[in-house]
Amino acid sequence: MALPRRHPSARSRSVSLHRWFTPWVLVIPAVLWLAIFSLWPAINTFVLSFSNVRTLTGGQFVGLRNYLQMLADPQLHDAVFNTVLYMVVCIPLLTFLPLLLALLVEKQLPFIGFFRTVFYFPVIASAVVVALIWQWLLDDRGVINGLAQSIGLVHGAVPFLTDRWLLLFSAIALTVWKGLGYYMIIFLSALGNVRRDLHEAAAVDGAGLVRRFWTVTVPGVRATMTLVAVLICVNAMRIFTELYILGGSTGGVGGQDVSIVMLIQGAASGSNGQLGYASALSVFLFVITVGPMIALARLNRSADR
Amino acid sequence: MRGKPWLAAVAAILLSGGLAACGIGGGSGGDQAVATGGPLKGEITFQTWSLKNDKFTPYFSKLVADFQRQHPGTKINWIDQPGDGYPDKVSSQVTSGSLPDVVNLPPDIAYAVQQAGGLLDLSKNVPTLAKDYVQSGLSAYKYPAATGTYAFPWYLGTDVNYWNKALLQKDGLDPARLPTTLDELIAQAKTMHDRSGGKDYLMSRAPGLIDIVNSGTKIVSDDGKKFVFDTPAAIAVVDKYAAAYKAGYLPRDVLTKTYEGNSALFVKQVVGWTTGTGNYIQSTAQTNPNLAKQIVPSKAIGTPPLYVQGISVSAKSKNAPLALAFALYVTNNANQEAFIKLAPGFLPGTAAAGSDPAYSKSDGTPAGDAGVLAYESLKTAVNVTPPMWTSAMDTYFSQQVALAMTGKQTAKQALDNAVAKCNQLLGS
Repeated sequence: MALPRRHPSARSRSVSLHRWFTPWVLVIPAVLWLAIFSLWPAINTFVLSFSNVRTLTGGQFVGLRNYLQMLADPQLHDAVFNTVLYMVVCIPLLTFLPLLLALLVEKQLPFIGFFRTVFYFPVIASAVVVALIWQWLLDDRGVINGLAQSIGLVHGAVPFLTDRWLLLFSAIALTVWKGLGYYMIIFLSALGNVRRDLHEAAAVDGAGLVRRFWTVTVPGVRATMTLVAVLICVNAMRIFTELYILGGSTGGVGGQDVSIVMLIQGAASGSNGQLGYASALSVFLFVITVGPMIALARLNRSADR
Repeated sequence: MRGKPWLAAVAAILLSGGLAACGIGGGSGGDQAVATGGPLKGEITFQTWSLKNDKFTPYFSKLVADFQRQHPGTKINWIDQPGDGYPDKVSSQVTSGSLPDVVNLPPDIAYAVQQAGGLLDLSKNVPTLAKDYVQSGLSAYKYPAATGTYAFPWYLGTDVNYWNKALLQKDGLDPARLPTTLDELIAQAKTMHDRSGGKDYLMSRAPGLIDIVNSGTKIVSDDGKKFVFDTPAAIAVVDKYAAAYKAGYLPRDVLTKTYEGNSALFVKQVVGWTTGTGNYIQSTAQTNPNLAKQIVPSKAIGTPPLYVQGISVSAKSKNAPLALAFALYVTNNANQEAFIKLAPGFLPGTAAAGSDPAYSKSDGTPAGDAGVLAYESLKTAVNVTPPMWTSAMDTYFSQQVALAMTGKQTAKQALDNAVAKCNQLLGS
């Protein structure tokens, strides 16, 4: 059977379509999307942060008043402290624990797929549902307290959800538990790039498991660890669901477990919400989130040299 | 100019748009007089809040049909919004210029819409307003720094005290001598706590704005420009609650998210006192008849709280005469009384309902007494939550009171902090 003959002008026509603006035409939808749904709201938030605009009423330009009020706000001090503590605890836990988990499930053993799925399961579960389940577990009349009291471990209920520190660390534990599977998958792919011959050479030189982990595995996945740390940093700064579900909208008893995002949500909500003040808080959150990200990126770059 | 002029141009456009966005809404509008008296015609939209269901839909369908029959050439489009997120829905309607012509609004949402110039001043358009409607209901829709009234009171509710007679007697309390003041309440809570070995509670709520008002303290200054509730009398109230909490007279989780609420604990017969609307005993009889037989009512301690829903007219309505006429029709005495028959526990917002013996005479049962108590209480009931009170203020107030209750700060510090923060939020 004879193949259909290509028209001689087909090639020249396809080339002629490839003009200087073709790439721009292709990226315009994405650029528009970003401009409308990311860039424009970000700029608008910045502008609103210098106004006293409310949900329904127009505002005036108030200069730096929102920022000055914000810096004198004791709630923000608590929120920054909680958020930074969240980040400082979560970064090492969620950088090393998933790496160790990835090393465990990396091996090709029977039923390893099942275990990988089980470890990943918390990631696909709804954060709200998971937090509600944890709330039932940690409540004064919850499973953990009931069990601890029934076996005589404690006499009264442990105030997981009412004590300032226990609530904060319960929320951190929830974040770590939920994030393990996600970062495990990232490390699992990174471990595939760690050269096996280096492990073998180190083993021949007498390096044990721990030594090989620190001298071969960790340097091999350092770039991934930085990426993971940056992701955790951003997520920790934006912590909301865990604290909101476990501690309530007040941020625990007395509001000592609020996060910055909870403050933003509280200030902006309702038909009389203070959008100007909430915008100033949002700008502040953006600034303090970018700082650690730059620091981590520089740390990684200097280690590369 | 060096660099990229197009980038500067885009930034300028975006920034100018942002600044323009600051100017949404505005305080104008709402004060115009509506030309009435002419024939009604055209079409309007009427919005209710969470009332389209098997119970209320037939009522509203008939209401609309009757009005349209009485006024040929008119069309009323009835829409209903779900219960959740109503403030956000109304906010988006206001900002997009699509607020329905006639709309059901509680006082706090109405305040925000009025501030944006979105509501018609009814006092300028209905000369008989003060005569036709309940004063407490009208007061809830009069705002500081505004001279008008921005809704017709539609249906109103207040709280009556309910006591578990059996629980009181079991713990050595006399149901014939129920507490009438906070001090008596705390004293009887101590008795119940001591007699039951800490198993039963009489009180189960943290102090709120109603307790502050009951101390004789104003929440906000008369001009509505600053919060002033950190008085010695209010501090003393918080101190009393803190002492009672510390002594174990209130459940520990009353300050936490896991607190089930006064009503739920009352049903479980863990606490001996709750508050509810005038038909609480009847509604309990349907779900828990044994408990209902044990309930005795009494008047609210201090000022009875007022819960009110109103019908407002949009200032931007393109058919204001029809909107105003329909709002008056929905809230006239006959229609309100017909509506209240479907919503037991609430009372009409019309003054004429005051002469109806159905509300003022008891059949001698505790349930009948409760209904009359609710009706009588409405005459002095007050909406204690100022219209400018936001959720952020409410959260901060609760946080500060909780810190005082748990002994982490004094009651004075709590109220001073709350007043300072609320004033900051008011001005920002």
